[in-house]
Order: sequence, then structure tokens, then C-alpha cells
Amino acid sequence: MEAILANADWGVIVILLPLTGGIVCFLWPAVSKTAGLITVAAVVLAVAGLGRQIMEHGAYRHTVGGWGAPLGIDLFADGLSLFMLIMTALVGLGISCYAKSYFNPRDAVWFWPVWLFLLAALNALFLAADIFNLYVTLELTGLAAVTLTALTGRIDALSSAMRYLLAMLAGSLAYLLGVALLYHDSGSVDIATLAQRIEPNATVWAALGLMSAGLALKTALFPLSFWLPPAHASAPAPVSALLSALVVKASFYILLRLWLELFADFAEGVSTLLGLLGAAAILWGSLQALRQTRIKLLVAYSTVAQIGYLFLVYPLASASSGLAAGIAAYLAFSHALAKSAMFLAAGNLMRFGGHDRIADLDRAVQRLPLTVSAFALAGVSIMGLPPSGGFTGKWLLLDAAMSQGRWDLAAVMIIGGLLAAGYIFKVLGYAFMQAKEPHDARAVPAGMEWAALLLAVGSILLGLMASEIFALIHPDLVANAGGAVERVWTA
Amino acid sequence: MDVIVVLEWAFDAVLGLGLLWLAWRTLNSPDLFKAIVLFISFGLLMALAWVRLNAPDIALAEAAIGAGLTGALLLAALARLRTTTDNTMPAQLPAGSWFQRGLLIVLLSGSAAGLGYAVWILPSHTSGLSMAVTANLDVSGARNPVTAVLLNFRGYDTMLEMIVLLLAVLGIWSLGGLPPRPERPAVAVLDTFSRFLIPVFILAAAYLLWVGADAPGGAFQAGSVLGAAGVLLLLSGWRPGVRLMQWPLRLALTIGAITFIILGVLTLLYEQQLLAYPVAQAGRMIILLESLATVSIAVTLAILFLGESPDPEEKK
Amino acid sequence: MSHAFAYALVGAGLFLLGLYALVAYAHLLRKILALNIMGSGVFLVLVALAKRTGDAEPDPVPHAMVITGIVVAVSATALALALMLKVSGKTGQAVLPGRHQD
Repeated sequence: MEAILANADWGVIVILLPLTGGIVCFLWPAVSKTAGLITVAAVVLAVAGLGRQIMEHGAYRHTVGGWGAPLGIDLFADGLSLFMLIMTALVGLGISCYAKSYFNPRDAVWFWPVWLFLLAALNALFLAADIFNLYVTLELTGLAAVTLTALTGRIDALSSAMRYLLAMLAGSLAYLLGVALLYHDSGSVDIATLAQRIEPNATVWAALGLMSAGLALKTALFPLSFWLPPAHASAPAPVSALLSALVVKASFYILLRLWLELFADFAEGVSTLLGLLGAAAILWGSLQALRQTRIKLLVAYSTVAQIGYLFLVYPLASASSGLAAGIAAYLAFSHALAKSAMFLAAGNLMRFGGHDRIADLDRAVQRLPLTVSAFALAGVSIMGLPPSGGFTGKWLLLDAAMSQGRWDLAAVMIIGGLLAAGYIFKVLGYAFMQAKEPHDARAVPAGMEWAALLLAVGSILLGLMASEIFALIHPDLVANAGGAVERVWTA
Repeated sequence: MDVIVVLEWAFDAVLGLGLLWLAWRTLNSPDLFKAIVLFISFGLLMALAWVRLNAPDIALAEAAIGAGLTGALLLAALARLRTTTDNTMPAQLPAGSWFQRGLLIVLLSGSAAGLGYAVWILPSHTSGLSMAVTANLDVSGARNPVTAVLLNFRGYDTMLEMIVLLLAVLGIWSLGGLPPRPERPAVAVLDTFSRFLIPVFILAAAYLLWVGADAPGGAFQAGSVLGAAGVLLLLSGWRPGVRLMQWPLRLALTIGAITFIILGVLTLLYEQQLLAYPVAQAGRMIILLESLATVSIAVTLAILFLGESPDPEEKK
Repeated sequence: MSHAFAYALVGAGLFLLGLYALVAYAHLLRKILALNIMGSGVFLVLVALAKRTGDAEPDPVPHAMVITGIVVAVSATALALALMLKVSGKTGQAVLPGRHQD
């Protein structure tokens, strides 16, 4: 038994499990809830199995079909991919526990198969080592995400799903044109092979531009973020959580991966541009969040701002790209935990009061203490206060910016943190106040409150485990990041 | 000899400019019906371009899916659109101001120059994968290199592809399905026509599937031709029975993906690699995968055209 | 110099024409047509460049990729058309409501 567990090919299983689960849910809608939960739990265990193998034997590689790249397709996972898989599995599990009580039977029948296919697509994406295979997983992710967005069938959900779909397809096609150019320049779609052959010429530059633009659109990097707030705000709460926590991270991961392996050496100008857009996203997204009168839109604009932080790693990467990538992945994970908790908490408040107007929260803190605690704890991480994951991640970023003399970026980060404090306390403040007119309230299932709270607690715990996590992302980084993390705690 | 070269160049020039012109007319003709008809002709011209580029497999797929089924989907959507919208809205309504559109044109012209240059400077020798494909073709189980790539060398992509098709159906059904198309009284000509065409289509699909291993054709082409037969059936007024719309339909939609997953698990157990077929079995496995994928592709495409949700109470 | 380059340039042109129409026109059916034309442009670049050596048997890998791409395109088109019909069924118009209805 022990031998089977140690030798099983967990990387492939992580993809096949949710695919099978999705088909089971589609064929037997009556069991979809049970089958869905079991599948997601099994995926968590399989990811743990893969993690153990990677920690013992180093990076995972699987040659699909036995051909090997560049003729065949390889699956590949190092610490960075593993970290993204862990993020997807854990946050996915939390959201699944929430979704179990959230959906009415009519919507549940569609939610479960599509969510399992989305999970399969995300896992396949984080395991892909082939830029065309990445295109297929991107399309799968996009179609599943759009379907989930439209699930309520209300007009705002339908039109934002439509806008979302158009943006996703345009982004994919730009990416695919870049793939076409790279293939004809270097004769391969395998990332490792490309890395050996790539030389900066006009074709590669065009591919770099097209792929970056397409992926930036899919990641909602300002000013290509126009599709995100309506989509994330109008989707059902667990779907908003999946979109903000996981789906935007998928395209961000591809961009980061391409950058690390292919483009970092010669495209410093583009790094500067990505950093500037990231800084603009922080300011614009935070200011917009501050202006909102509805919780879900506020949280959605906060996502636009927090995505900005992820892009600040590009201009800072030149000195030590490995560390910067580690910081980006770490920030992505802590944002995933905090933001999913926030959207789920917002869903509870909507279920409770029938609306998500911030001004009418009406003493929610007394009536839904767990939910408001979840929102507040997640807020600690979003604001970047200790001891949360958001704090450690942003501190590391700030440290990198200051040691490279990038005071402009450091200033933007600090202003972003202050603005975040502004919009989070705006929600919390109203949660303590009594509304002018009292509202009828509906009960919220305990499971939904606990799911939000546990994810929020996770975002705090992440900050306490920073050194272990950096050891996981990249063994070489421990010395580097360990030093920085220690500086965080002695500062 | 020279005359032929000149003629070839002239043909390519006319085809290339024709494609650009049809695309432009599709995108800005005031009448949407005309735009769709132009788009279908664009698809047929694309099929010609594929033939010129020695890509007969794509030419078949383009004619059947790109022009045929996409065209049918667009026309059906337009018919439904006209029952729900006020037709007063100009179909050419621009988004954004003149200034924004001008800026966009400047930006895109710049991109066109850059993109054109990026294509132009590519060396005319290539380091593509044709050598690797040729070298391994004998052990792949298919003699048509495109089939070998789709079902063996990059079969994993095709497995995920089956899920993409399934997700489109799930997406439409989860929206509650589409309203029924405005029914026209059965046209006798169409009826006779389909009675004649459907068997022809089925035969053509079987042929494409059968030769696909060795010659242009294969699951996607066969599936789309078979799907087109389904669309004709639906157009002539045939509807699957309620029982057929439940479990049998769901099984038909997923059977391609299920076969991929089962073969994937078996190969993982016995060969330690996902979708690594033993050389002696590769041919048979490819035929099995292609046949069942054809069923799924055909049913999916017909269902995408039908657009109705299987649940009677879903019609909201 | 082979005609393959000319086809690749036509493909790039189609991609950009489609992109222009996608942004510049409001009608959803027009936007869906624009995406399909963009897709055809990308496929043309992918396959035309495979033939630039002038070999009788061009590289089959891009061919397989384009067949994959055509199937993705028809699936996405079907979903997009269904969403368009749902939006127009509720609003009476096949356009997206103005940006940022906050």
C-alpha cells in the first residue's frame, strides 16, 4: 500500500480525477453534490501525494504518450506549479463546502459538473509544459468560468458573462497567434525546448507582445480589467470566489512561467511597462473600491487592485527573478484565501439580508459574527497587516523595491495598503451600525459561515508559515527568502 | 512552366485579397443576414486556401464546421434574434466615439506593420516537427500524419478538446436552453432533399472515419459531417423523443471523453504513461477512439444547433 | 520566396480586421463574427508558415493544432450565440449595456 501511494503517478491523477468526477455529475445529476465533494476531497489528497513526491525526488515530469517533448506533450511540476496546485485544491475545497449549502437543486445540477471541469482545467494548466496545451487549458478554463458566471440567469449576470466571454476569446486568440509565431521561429511548443532555442528577434518580440497582451487581458491587468468587476460582482458568491481566487491566477501563472523561462533575459522594457500598469491598477482599483456602495462590487474592484501587486514583481525581478516569482506566487495564494473568504462572507450577508448594500448592513456583526469575523480577518490580509499572508508577501515586495531604490513602487504599495484599509473599514463600520430601516433576515447555514471563516483563518496562517512555504516554492530560495522573512519579523 | 507559376501566383493573389474583402464585407455590411451569408462564403474560400496550402484535413474540417455548422448556428441564432429584439436598432451601431475608433485604427495599423515584419523575417528553412513525426509515423498506428498527431502524439490535447465540446453543451443547457426556432411550415423540397442527403452524409462520415487513419479525414471531419446530417434531420422537423433526450443523449455526448479517460487509465496502469499505446495495439486503439469520438462530436454539434434544454421544465 | 508568406500576411490582416470590428461595433452578432474571423486569421498564420519550406508534405503538427482550434471556435461560438440570445431576450437588444453599471 505504501509503495503504491509512493509510486502512483499523482500528477496525471490530479487531472483525471476531476475530469471523471465532472462526467459522473453530468451523467447522474442526482448524485452530483456528493460526487462533487468526494472528487474535490480526493483531489486534495492526490495533490498531497504529488507534493510528497516532489519534495522527496525533485521536479515531476510525465511524458504523455511516452513520446517526450517536443514531439509529444510533457507534464511538468516544480515547486511553483505545486504551490499553485495546492492553492487550487485547498481554496477549491473550502468553496466546495460552501457551495454544498449555497445552491438550490436546479443550479447545483449545473454547478458541480462545470466546477469539476474547471478544476481539471486549472490542474492541467498548472501541470502543462507546452504552450499549445496551455492554450487548450486556457479555453477550457474560460468556457467553464463563463458558464458559472451566467448561472443565475439574471440580466446583470448574463450581460457580464457575455462581456467576459468576448474578452476571454479575444485574449486566447492573441495568445494563440503568439504561439504560432514562436512555433515557427523555434520549431517547438515545449517550453524547455523553446528556452534553449529562443533568441530575441522581431518574431519573438511580436509573440511576446501578443501573448503578454492576451494574458494580461485574461488576468484583468488595468486597463484591460473592464470585464472583471461586473462579472465577479454578478456571479453567485461561490463562483465569484472561484473566479477571483483561482481563475485570474491561472493566466497570471502562465505569464509568470513564460517570463521566467523565456523572456526575462531580454525584455526589461516590457517588465517596466507591466510594473507601471500594476501600480496604476493598485491605485485605480483601490479608489474604485472605495467608491462602491455594494459589497460585491467593492470586493471585485479590490481584486483589480490586488492583481496590480502581482505585476509589481516584474520590474523587481531583474535582480533575483526566482525570489520575485516566489513572492508573486505567495501573494497570489494569500490573495486567493483572503478574497475567497471575502466573497463567501459577502454571499452570507446577501443571503442574510437579501441585498449587498453596504449602508444597510444593519448590525451584521451581532447577527452573523462568524461571517463578519471572516470578512475582517480576510481584510487584515488584504490590507497587509501582520501576521497575515498579505503582510509577509507585501513586506517582501516592499523590501525588494526599497533595496533596488524603487521608491515610487514602494510608495504605491503603501498608498494601496492605506486605501485598502479605507474600503475594508467602510464595510466593517456599517456592519456595526444599525440601519435606518430594519430588514427581515434569512438564516444562513452554519456550513457557509464556517467555510468563509476557515478560508480567512487560512490567509492569516499562511503568514505564520512563510519560511516553510518559501522552502516549498524553490529550494534555492530558502536562504534568500529566509533572510528576508527573518528581516520581516525582526523589523 | 512559367505560365503555370504566374497562374498560381494570380490565383493566390485573388484568393488572398478575396478573403480580406469578404471578411471586411462580413464585418460591416448593414444587413446581418447578408453578413452571415458573406461569412459562410468566407469559410468556403478559407477551405480553398487550405487546399492551396496542402492542408486537406483542415479543408474538410473548415468546410464542414467552419463554414457549414457555424453558418447554420449563426442563421438559426439570427432567426431567433428577430423574434426577441426590435429590429429598429442599426446593426452597424458603432461602440465608442469617432476619436476612440481613430485611435484604434492607428494602434492596429502599427500592430499590422509589426506583425507583418515579424512574419516576413522568419527564415524560410524551418526547424518544425515534420521530421520527428515522419520518423515515428510507423509506430503511431496511423498513416495519416495529422491523425497520428491528433490521436497519438498530441492525443492529450484531443482528450481535453472533447471536454471543451461538452462544456459548450453544458453552458447552453445551464442557461435554460434556447427558445425554439420559429417554425416554418415544412418545405417539401427540403424534406425530399434531406431524405436524399442524410444517407449520403452518413455514408460520407463513415468513409471519412474509415480513411482517416491513412488519408485526409478522421474523427473531427466525420463527426462534423454526421453532425450536419443531424442538423438536416432537425431542420426537416424531426425531434428526438423525450426518453432519447435523457440518459442516452448524455451518454452519447460523453462517450468520446469516457473512452479517452478509460484508455488513459489503462495505459497508465500497464504502460506507466498516459495514452501510451502499445505499438501492436496502436492502430486498433486509434480506430476505437476515433469511432466513439465521432459519435460524441456529431451529437454535440447537432445538440448545439438544437439548443434546447433536455428538461421540459427548464424552458424559462 | 514562397506564396506561404503571402497567406501568412493575409492571416495577420484578418486577425487585425477582426480585432477592429470586435472593438468598434456594438452589435453582439457582429462581435461574434469578428472573433471567428480573428480565429481564421490565426489559423492561417499557423498553417501558412508551415508550408514556407515548399516541401510537398508540410509539417502536420500545425494542421492538427488548427483542427483543434476549429473545434474550440465552434464550441465558443455556440455558447456566445446562446448568451447573446439570452441577453437580447431580457433587454430586447443584442448589445451590451453601457460599461460599469454600478
